[in-house]
Amino acid sequence: MAEPEKPKKKPKKKLDLNRVKMPKQEPAIRRRNFNEVALGYTHDMALKEANRCIQCKKRPCQSGCPVNIDIPDFIEAIKEDNLPKALEVLKRKTSLPGICGRVCPQETQCELKCTLNQKGAPIAIGRLERYVADWERAQGEVQLPEIAPSTGKNVAVVGSGPAGLTVASELAKLGHKVDLFEALHIAGGVLVYGIPEFRLPKDIVRGEVDYVQKLGVELHLDTVIGINMTLDELLNGKYDAVFLGTGAGLPRFLGVPGENLNMIYSANEFLTRTNLMKAYLYPEYATPLKMGRRVAVIGGGNVAMDAARCAVRLGAEEVHVIYRRSREEMPARAEEVENAEEEEIQFHFLTTPIGFLADGRNNVCAMELLKMQLGEPDESGRRRPVPIEGSEYVMDIDTVVVSLGTSPNPLIPNTTPDLETTRWGTVVADEKGKTSKARVWAGGDIVTGGATVISAMGAGKIAAQAMHEYLTS
Amino acid sequence: MFTIVEKEELASSVHRMRVKAPLVAAKAQPGQFIILIIDEKGERVPFTLSDWNKEDGSVEFVFIEVGKTTRALAKLQKGDSLAHLIGPLGRPSHVDHFGHVVCVVSGYGIAGMVPTIEALKEKGNKITTILQVPNQENLFGEEKLREISDELILAAGGDGGFTNPTALKPLRQLVKRHPRECIDRVIAMASFCLMKLCCEITRPKEIPTYVHLAPLMVDGTGMCGACRCVVEGKNRFACVHGPEFNGHLVQGWDVLMARRCTYADEILGQQSFQCSSCSQW
Repeated sequence: MAEPEKPKKKPKKKLDLNRVKMPKQEPAIRRRNFNEVALGYTHDMALKEANRCIQCKKRPCQSGCPVNIDIPDFIEAIKEDNLPKALEVLKRKTSLPGICGRVCPQETQCELKCTLNQKGAPIAIGRLERYVADWERAQGEVQLPEIAPSTGKNVAVVGSGPAGLTVASELAKLGHKVDLFEALHIAGGVLVYGIPEFRLPKDIVRGEVDYVQKLGVELHLDTVIGINMTLDELLNGKYDAVFLGTGAGLPRFLGVPGENLNMIYSANEFLTRTNLMKAYLYPEYATPLKMGRRVAVIGGGNVAMDAARCAVRLGAEEVHVIYRRSREEMPARAEEVENAEEEEIQFHFLTTPIGFLADGRNNVCAMELLKMQLGEPDESGRRRPVPIEGSEYVMDIDTVVVSLGTSPNPLIPNTTPDLETTRWGTVVADEKGKTSKARVWAGGDIVTGGATVISAMGAGKIAAQAMHEYLTS
Repeated sequence: MFTIVEKEELASSVHRMRVKAPLVAAKAQPGQFIILIIDEKGERVPFTLSDWNKEDGSVEFVFIEVGKTTRALAKLQKGDSLAHLIGPLGRPSHVDHFGHVVCVVSGYGIAGMVPTIEALKEKGNKITTILQVPNQENLFGEEKLREISDELILAAGGDGGFTNPTALKPLRQLVKRHPRECIDRVIAMASFCLMKLCCEITRPKEIPTYVHLAPLMVDGTGMCGACRCVVEGKNRFACVHGPEFNGHLVQGWDVLMARRCTYADEILGQQSFQCSSCSQW
């Protein structure tokens, strides 16, 4: 297959601007199941896409990756049809390629920087990464990297989401003994309770958690740091250093009348019931999720898209997304908004709820909405929505999911007086993740507030390096 | 896995279970609860702790068979195990020397209030406990409550010829005698409707009244917001800010009760808002 061995440097042929499309389940079919929407490249598709890469010298894609994956090298290995090597290149920088390949916003990171993006057709780096990770899973046998000899140091990692998994695997590879603590009954954090099966199959998360455990990390489920053990108890016990990666799990609400009526959910509850507890398989799984026919999701982020698309699959007749700014300001990935539109989700832009109405038995039956227009830009640089007076109207709905973002859970800060936090409840940390408290690092949403999986992994990588330096100095 | 070390039927459909969970027992305090999952396909269900032993690392709770999970739980025996158990969750009950404390209990609160009463007793409080059960067949926990309270008033419906069918009449009588016979604090761990009514009885005389709210919960650590309630105009989560709240500051009891019954039809096999057949009554 790969007979021309050397001519790496000069592109022999004209630029190929035909990005290989991702095969997907048809909207009409996927509206009725929780199976993965994107089906993944075939071998031929992956080769074709990898061959589009011109292996430019500047490697701008790599600088766009929060964990600095050697992107041109793994693509080159795919071209050579050397998947073990492609995998080895990926695993040098990420322990979770199957997850990154699926949920990273590549269009704002590596693919944005890709030279071919100047022509509007960047290499589909995420899809290729996913292809390699899926190939490994299909082999059954997982490659383990070399693990450094034991340093005799003990580290506690709190939270088994993307940041925690990254720190745990990095430090384990460097020879430290790592205990990973998780409050829920399944490891993975937002990867299992938040992101739905149809975007990130839970088998994949389980595979990645297994991998981290195979590196020697000991997982402790059902253990709440801040309750079962305080941070100080960890530090005064056997641990030389602690990493806090407990994410941003505290849901925000609108604060408008009627918001606590029955059948109004936080996105966290709606998604946790659906994904973590598998309510879509009720009654085989014991957790139910009560939902009506007309569902409104409030918010414009990826979590709102996930909630809306879950509602469709759970059998809602109509799903409406209510967002107070316009489409351009939506924080959700363009790809997910497209997917949602294909699944017949209706978008109401420049609209905000100002109250919820009850049916006489304290169930929500309608919401009062107000039209907005865009004014001057705010601190985020996005134009601020301003109410249009007298534009109130009422919309009948019987289920509401509030998806306005989350703040960090205060359990650990509340039981650790000398851990500095901001007025938004996030933990203060420097660029290396070091907090105000000795021997404690933090990273991911607990520091930044709600952000992305990959930024949490990037923060985890940096913090792990800083912790390693401290532990070996 | 969490091994069941004791299991006993206390009354019809009421069971006491003791489970090995050293990490939970080590930190447990009165008024706190646990969440358990029977098996990997199970739901997360909260139960208030009724006892624990730090030495042998066991915790105890009492449950009433009302739905799928509690019926499955009732089938388990000593030696079986639960897939998951986390806790102790929630803030402990506020315990201090108040003077004369009236405790109102029904349903899960009959056992759940025991550690709080014991702690109050240790602080030198005089305890009057009003125990409400729907009928004599469902009576449990009387002996223990009698032992740790200075006075126990039993209220039971049905045909037992009880003078007090509910806790409300004896509570009204006690409140009527206040402040001649002073009540310093009322604490209720009972059904939503009973707690709501207790608050209305004590409100005119401004007797501090605390209630233990047990709305629906999923994670129990402040993540899902299913247990949110309005206290003094603020949205509070029963799992992390509670479960004990100043009852006179709790707003929207009717909404809370509606939310509590969201899954009543499916899970409990009972129609919502039929308080007479409510398991908590």
